[in-house]
Amino acid sequence: MAMSKRQRAKAFRGAQYALLVVVAIVLALVADWGEIKRAFFNVDIAVSMFPNVLTVSLVNTLIYTALGFAFALLAGLLLALMKLSPVGPYRWIATVYIEFFRGIPALLVFIAVGFGVPLAFGIDFDIYSKVMLSLGIVGAAYMAETIRAGIQAVPKGQIEAARSLGMSQGRTTITVVIPQAFRIILPPLTNELIMLTKDSSLIYIIGLAREEYELTKFGREVLSRSPSLTPILVIGLCYLLITLPLGYLSRYLERQTGGKKISTPESTGLGVSA
Amino acid sequence: MARRTRHQVLALFPVLALAVTVTGCATKVGTGSGTDAGSGISLVEAGKLTTCTHLSYKPFQYSEGDKTVGFDVDLVNLVAKDLGAEQKIFDTPFETITSGEVFNTNKCDLAAAGMTITDERKEAIDFSEPYFDASQALLVKKGSGITDLSGLKGKKIGVQLETTGEKYANDNSAANGYTVIQFEDLPLMETAVRTGAVDAAINDNGVLYDYVKEFPDTEVTKEFDTGESYGIGMKKGNKALLDKVNAVLKKANENGEYDKIYEKWFGKKPEKK
Repeated sequence: MAMSKRQRAKAFRGAQYALLVVVAIVLALVADWGEIKRAFFNVDIAVSMFPNVLTVSLVNTLIYTALGFAFALLAGLLLALMKLSPVGPYRWIATVYIEFFRGIPALLVFIAVGFGVPLAFGIDFDIYSKVMLSLGIVGAAYMAETIRAGIQAVPKGQIEAARSLGMSQGRTTITVVIPQAFRIILPPLTNELIMLTKDSSLIYIIGLAREEYELTKFGREVLSRSPSLTPILVIGLCYLLITLPLGYLSRYLERQTGGKKISTPESTGLGVSA
Repeated sequence: MARRTRHQVLALFPVLALAVTVTGCATKVGTGSGTDAGSGISLVEAGKLTTCTHLSYKPFQYSEGDKTVGFDVDLVNLVAKDLGAEQKIFDTPFETITSGEVFNTNKCDLAAAGMTITDERKEAIDFSEPYFDASQALLVKKGSGITDLSGLKGKKIGVQLETTGEKYANDNSAANGYTVIQFEDLPLMETAVRTGAVDAAINDNGVLYDYVKEFPDTEVTKEFDTGESYGIGMKKGNKALLDKVNAVLKKANENGEYDKIYEKWFGKKPEKK
């Protein structure tokens, strides 16, 4: 008996559900639940991590991310303007910078800023400056593209109207274009913030004092003394404490700006950090 | 139409079968294959003596080209030769060795990593007899004038993750008023002294003396006699391998092999105790 197209689709879907159930059952039977409980859900270890995990490492992660984001925003804006500039060398420098720092792992940049730059230039600076520079240099490369796309998404009519009112090019850019561009790119900017939060997990490589530990370093430190992987779970949850709300914020802002989407490497899934 | 439907559903069965076989074939962690290398010793990989270490820790283990060389490497080669196996080096974070994780997950047979024997580590792994006496030393920039921990008041001292040097620095931090900065590995810690990120660093004397030879803008200004010695680490309860390693070490001490290796890496014969 011939099945209609609808019936075929239903049967196919039914078979997929069945497959999922079978795989879930197989996994549930194969997994060693006692071992999983011991490995991930050791309550004593989890409790011992508080309050420092929140008051020290979570706070540090937030500080480092904020510092990096501030630098990346300013540097990214500068790079975006350079990329859109009529001056050839500006465009070239911006392109090289963006392609380079998007193309190498963030960890290498951190090592270079933390050790290479001080060695090469004979100067050293404090941990917050190093963190701000490392995260900022990497973040700027990603933000530059986002900001550039935002600037170009501002309706041409706005620029024409401003110019016909007698505003200079510079005045137009600063007072008319950039504020509107930022409203457009608020959603992708929140994504950048999430990325930077996760990148902050690599800061340990620069060398931290105990009070400077961010979440991942703190977790690994506890992990090295524990017969369990519970610290990993706790740290993961702490990161979600930061990134999930940011995700919601991003979607909320997207709705607010009328869903005006711009295509950035991050939104298309092609641009990923280290 | 009917035939096409049946084919589409049937296509799922191979996928199902594949899923089930894959989960069935997944081997549990901890079944080291390993053949008997004689006298009841089983190795995680047949024909190879897998050594866990943490690079780089010159002159005990470091990379030269694409080979790993060093004092520890040569010493373990004696064991490998005795077992008729070839040494294979596995680079892993230091805390995975000191916590015994590498042995519990069957990643290697033994660990030689300039590793000091401590009671805390003995709870997780077994150690061979001591094969090298070490002490902690203070690395500073040449001409810094810092000759002791007391000279570091209000300053920063670098340590390496999970080392006895870190413990020593932490134990004495309250008395001396310095901040301890922790680094993942030795080369980064040493570089931090040269860049000025830290005012001094503390680690084993063997490696620091080797470093100042290569970087004369640094110097070692103090040694702290901590009476520590290095041992080769093994899985807890691996008596067969432990006995074999100790036997090889004893023989090397008696027949001059140890002295030869020592002189090769340190330029002088070891002091007789």
